[in-house]
Amino acid sequence: MAQKKLYGAVAEFPSPAALLEAARRMREHGYTRMDACTPFPVHGLDQVLGIPHSPLGYIAFLGGAAGFVAAILLQWWTGAVDYPLIIGAKPLFAFEPSIPIIFELTVLFSAFATVGGMLTLNRLPRLHHPLFELDAFRRVTNDRFFLAVEAEDPKFRSDETKALLESLGAKGAALVEEEG
Amino acid sequence: METSLQQNRESYYLDEALWNKIRNVLLLVAVVGWAASAYGWAADGYNFYGSYLVNFMFWLTIGWGAAFFVAVQHITTAAWSVTVRRIMENVMITLPVMAFLFIPVAVGIPTLYEWAQPGYFDIEHNPNLQFKALFFSAPLYVARVVTYFFVWSALAVVLYQNSVAQDQGPSEEARRNLRWWSAPGVLVLTATVTMASVDWIMSLDPHWYSTIFGIYVFSGGALAFIALVTLVALALRKAGYLRETITIEHYHDLGKWMFALTVWWAYIAFSQYLLIWYADLPEETVFFKHRMEGTWIYLSALLLVGHFIVPFLALLSRAAKRNLAVLGLTAFWILVIHGMDLHWLILPSVHPHNFHIQWLDVTTFLATGGVFGLAFWRRFRRRAMVPAGDVRLPESLAHHNI
Repeated sequence: MAQKKLYGAVAEFPSPAALLEAARRMREHGYTRMDACTPFPVHGLDQVLGIPHSPLGYIAFLGGAAGFVAAILLQWWTGAVDYPLIIGAKPLFAFEPSIPIIFELTVLFSAFATVGGMLTLNRLPRLHHPLFELDAFRRVTNDRFFLAVEAEDPKFRSDETKALLESLGAKGAALVEEEG
Repeated sequence: METSLQQNRESYYLDEALWNKIRNVLLLVAVVGWAASAYGWAADGYNFYGSYLVNFMFWLTIGWGAAFFVAVQHITTAAWSVTVRRIMENVMITLPVMAFLFIPVAVGIPTLYEWAQPGYFDIEHNPNLQFKALFFSAPLYVARVVTYFFVWSALAVVLYQNSVAQDQGPSEEARRNLRWWSAPGVLVLTATVTMASVDWIMSLDPHWYSTIFGIYVFSGGALAFIALVTLVALALRKAGYLRETITIEHYHDLGKWMFALTVWWAYIAFSQYLLIWYADLPEETVFFKHRMEGTWIYLSALLLVGHFIVPFLALLSRAAKRNLAVLGLTAFWILVIHGMDLHWLILPSVHPHNFHIQWLDVTTFLATGGVFGLAFWRRFRRRAMVPAGDVRLPESLAHHNI
């Protein structure tokens, strides 16, 4: 049996407003490594949790730039260097007819980078999450709002953090373990 | 005049003194513009008509963009745009006035258009010209022009009246009318816009043809329209109006539209260019040949850089679209480059040898712009600047980009 280690403390709230208020108070107490799970998107939650803007846009841009360069090199090298062949009295390489392929590869590579980047940033795919150990967590897709404080948080003190969450209007709080 | 429909604390009504001040400025611009243009017309009729057509098309294409956008908001029952929709509608309702601004173009037809010369289409020796000769015969031409202005004015008036009718309270009947007229309206609008672009711009070179031409003109107009709406909203904001109504979220969305339409214009422009480049047929390439000769090549290069690359890169990032200074500057630049685009479409056929800005370009801009501005500004007097009774206004005010 693998060794267990603490994932963090998780608390259950009855409404989005209660969750937002608790998250705001936890931030005031100096907690930084928090996550929230809700049945639907809650406006303002990202700001309250202090989640920075996703770098995914830059990853998509880099993917697109790579596709842009790759398309030019591909068409120039195959058409003008490796197998030069005059077709329809057109130049061996010209930007005009190359632009549709440049456009397509830019879109394709940026799409790959976006999907790949999104999965990597979300640490997906994964088959299990420690929060699933909690029976109460099943209602997260229905009518319950959860706030988790990860054990990695420098302010995290297991019982103290759990007690603090309970004092902020949680219907219940628990410590969750994960496979080490 | 304040209604009980107020959704937030700020006034939806413009201060009368400020309205008068702007009206006087616009009146002065119009009078000076028309006086100077009339002098130019008397002194140099040929060049007057070319410059006038460019600036007439500048404001007309923006009106097309407005009618298209307002109709699309109703078709999609959009909520985000409600707070800026009245500004869009006030641009759209200038379309009936454009019929009067067409008069100088109509007078200039024999000067501007080769096909208007008697016996231009030599049907006896070239039976292929039969269709073109019929198409440009006087009765059909007049019928088309009358149809255009009737259709555009009718669409604008229906969409405007039914929206304003709700300023005192939501009306299910008005909402139904708006939804009902918008979809056929867009179809008829795009068909007439295509035909009008052919009639007034493409036929300057009667031998040349491009089936994508109408969409090309339309796409530039739609882009310039969003830029104008953004600038008007920013100007009202600077004067202290609608600061809590048109929020950063709405500006962000206007920025997205400017970005999307920049790409759309480039897509259409490139599609036209690529097919002509690839087929390499003299009767098609002549259009680009004229625009690559002499100093026209500089204007062609300016369009590539200024109409696509600059606004594309300027508006690419989220932060830029949410920065009002960047957004305003880009919107202003887009309006300038839209004027350059029409200059590029029209004037190489009128004075083929060299690209230059002449003083008639400026005076006819002021003349047409003054009339357009007055028709636009008239709608701000004692009327709400926001569709105050629209059922989606609260949703629009709460609009939030993820």
